[in-house]
Amino acid sequence: MNRKAPGRPLGSGWRWRLPYLMLGLFLVAIAALVWLIREYDEEDQRTALIGDVLWMEQNLRFHLEKGAELLAQLGPGLLDEPQPSAAAQAQMQRLLQPDNPVVQVIWMDSAGRIRGALPMIGENRRIGETEDATPAASLFRLAKVSGRPVFGPAYQVLGDDAYFEVYVPHYRAGEFAGVIVAVQSLRELVSREVPWWFSEKYRVSISDPTGQEIVSKSKAAILAHGLEYTIPLDPPGRGLVLKITAYRGEVRWVPILLGASILLLAAGIMWSVWRLRLHVVRRQEAEHALHEAYAFRRAMEDSLLTGLRARDMDGRMIYVNPAFCRMVGYSESELLGRKPPMPYWDPDDLERTQALHEYILSSASAGGTGVEVRLRRRNGERLDAMVFEAPLIDAHGHQTGWMGSVLDITEQKRIETMARQQEERLHATSRLITMGEMASTLAHELNQPLAAIASYNTGCMNRLSNDQANKEELLMILGKLGKQAQRAGQIIRRVHDFVRRSEPKVEQVDLNQLVTEAIGLVEPDSRKRNIRIAFISAAGPADAQIDPVMIEQVLVNLIRNGMDAMRDISLELRRLTISVGRRDNGVEVTVRDRGRGIAPETAERLFEPFFTTKTEGMGMGLNICRSIIESHRGTLRFEAAPDGGTVFRFWIPASES
Amino acid sequence: MSGALAHIVDDDEAIRDALAWLFETRGVACRGWPSGEAFLDEWKPEWRGCIVLDIRMGGMSGLACFDALRQKGCQLPIIFLTGHGDVPMAVSAIKNGAFDFVEKPFNDNDLVDIVVNALEADARSQLIKATRENVLQQLAQLTTREREVMDQILAGKFNKVIADELSISMRTVEVHRARVFEKMGVRSAVELAQQLSSTGLMPGQIED
Repeated sequence: MNRKAPGRPLGSGWRWRLPYLMLGLFLVAIAALVWLIREYDEEDQRTALIGDVLWMEQNLRFHLEKGAELLAQLGPGLLDEPQPSAAAQAQMQRLLQPDNPVVQVIWMDSAGRIRGALPMIGENRRIGETEDATPAASLFRLAKVSGRPVFGPAYQVLGDDAYFEVYVPHYRAGEFAGVIVAVQSLRELVSREVPWWFSEKYRVSISDPTGQEIVSKSKAAILAHGLEYTIPLDPPGRGLVLKITAYRGEVRWVPILLGASILLLAAGIMWSVWRLRLHVVRRQEAEHALHEAYAFRRAMEDSLLTGLRARDMDGRMIYVNPAFCRMVGYSESELLGRKPPMPYWDPDDLERTQALHEYILSSASAGGTGVEVRLRRRNGERLDAMVFEAPLIDAHGHQTGWMGSVLDITEQKRIETMARQQEERLHATSRLITMGEMASTLAHELNQPLAAIASYNTGCMNRLSNDQANKEELLMILGKLGKQAQRAGQIIRRVHDFVRRSEPKVEQVDLNQLVTEAIGLVEPDSRKRNIRIAFISAAGPADAQIDPVMIEQVLVNLIRNGMDAMRDISLELRRLTISVGRRDNGVEVTVRDRGRGIAPETAERLFEPFFTTKTEGMGMGLNICRSIIESHRGTLRFEAAPDGGTVFRFWIPASES
Repeated sequence: MSGALAHIVDDDEAIRDALAWLFETRGVACRGWPSGEAFLDEWKPEWRGCIVLDIRMGGMSGLACFDALRQKGCQLPIIFLTGHGDVPMAVSAIKNGAFDFVEKPFNDNDLVDIVVNALEADARSQLIKATRENVLQQLAQLTTREREVMDQILAGKFNKVIADELSISMRTVEVHRARVFEKMGVRSAVELAQQLSSTGLMPGQIED
């Protein structure tokens, strides 16, 4: 299972680190951007804050100055008259309305004596003297001298408030006539003058010079690090400081969400890269395994001794393995794409191969049993091959062609042929030896009486020619001579008896059948010698009373003789024709070859025993054939065929007469 | 030494009988033997004549019989009778010293001629053998000096030269010469040389 090759990196490491690195850089850039935006934002806020503070201060100042102006308008009504005029009264009442920061208006004469106050000065409200009279006096003087409104310092009063006073000098015809003092509440001032939207955003507070917060307007506690700005509040100032602190603004969700989503996306990218890498690793492993499996199969195919070749439905070659290339001697590139007839088909066996090829392509499912084909290597060598064809089925179950495995059986065939030849030779030799021994024995046996006869005869002649003839002696010798002649005759009779012992065992046989069987017997030999055997059978049954074994022997003998006669002629002319027909109340069989024919001097001796034209022949074949045919009361003859070659014909009567 | 006989060794009685008759009509004395074994048992070294031997016989074959005879020292000429196909055997027998072979069926008078030739050859070899023994006896009577002188005569040298070489007087050489001729039963140097060479006893041949 674990086919992961060690030392084979799945893509070099840096390639896989690169996305992470890029992503990291991207995140840093995003973070920098967010930070910068925040910075800008804060800067903006700060600028806005400063602007607001300045506006606020301006606003307060304007208000106070406006208030001072109003007070100055009161001067004639309050100080120039012994009693405040009604108009002044009404104006004062307006000033003292609860929503105004002015809590009390006091008017004093030029000597600094209080002429009146509204509302009346209570116990707890001592103008200029309640807490610190000196500043009040000094303020008074300052107002008198400067001729301009003077603001006093703030001071704490009960009720968590702080008041301050405005001294407005009044001149009557260029002469100091008194001062109008307005006590104002800082709290009221702040709460009145700070608009609602402002207080929504900021906490406004006023502190004394010691940093003590005097009044504030706030809605909630402020965070320590809140954005704040302080600005001195002058003229009401006297060291008062206006401080504005921004509430923490509403949470800015967009950048947060943006950042969060970027982070999330980055995490997602990392995860997907990791997943992708995992997938790629698995894929690479699978590819590697596939590659190995492929290489393994390839090696297997290459090392096979069996030739493999695949063809498409048109018979075009689409695959060959090296074993097949080696077998036929053509290279892969020479074979691929070729259509039949293939270059390795045996030209002498072309028809059969073509027929076989077409049969395979046309049949729905070949396979199972192999077909023996004769092929030819590139170098011209013959090649006997066993071909097993099977349909080539693709992944969808459709047949796309034919797959064939080809086994080289040349050697096997050669050995078979050799073994058969060996056996035949052995058989022939043993037959030869047997026949030779028999002939030799016969010759010796016959020689004995013949030699004796010759000797007696010569002796007699010697006597007669010498005129020494003695009648009785000669008679005795001639008697012995006659005995030897009888002895020779007995030997001959014994041989005859021996031959007679093998009488044919006759039965009713259809010669059509018998010829077919005989052709079957010689077929391997004929194919080897490239001889075609044509058989023209009789129309109906050709029955005869014969010994089938013996007649088959005759047929085989005649066919073999015919094949031997065509040994030297060209391949295409090698044709043997056998026919069976009825004639003269019998059956005639002809065996016709296309050989060179029989020379006249050979023809005379053809049936002689021990006469042969073959180097390995015994010279008994035709002789025995004739004996067999004659023992069936038939005839065996031969004649030259009209178009070359020889016809042997034998006739056998149809039935026992 | 009852005379030469043609010994017919054949297991076929008819052949023996017929050949015996045939030989008789040509005046050749003969005797038949039914087998090789029978002949070997009876054979005597002093027998003269020839042997007609059938190659193919029941029991001991002709060739085996031939080998056995040669082993026993029988030098008689042997003629083989051969049948069909036995010719190669007969040829090898000839190479081993057989006299001749005749193929059956044979031309009978030819066979008799061969037998007669064989008998003559045997007689001739017998004669040579006898002469040779005689000459050897005569040579044995010579003294050493006479032998030396004879060798010089046979080398064709004159008496004077012989005398010089043997450091003896001419007169002495002449005496030795006369004694050699007398002892060898010849009258001239030419006759002496003839006698010695016909029996294979010429100096230089003697060592053989």
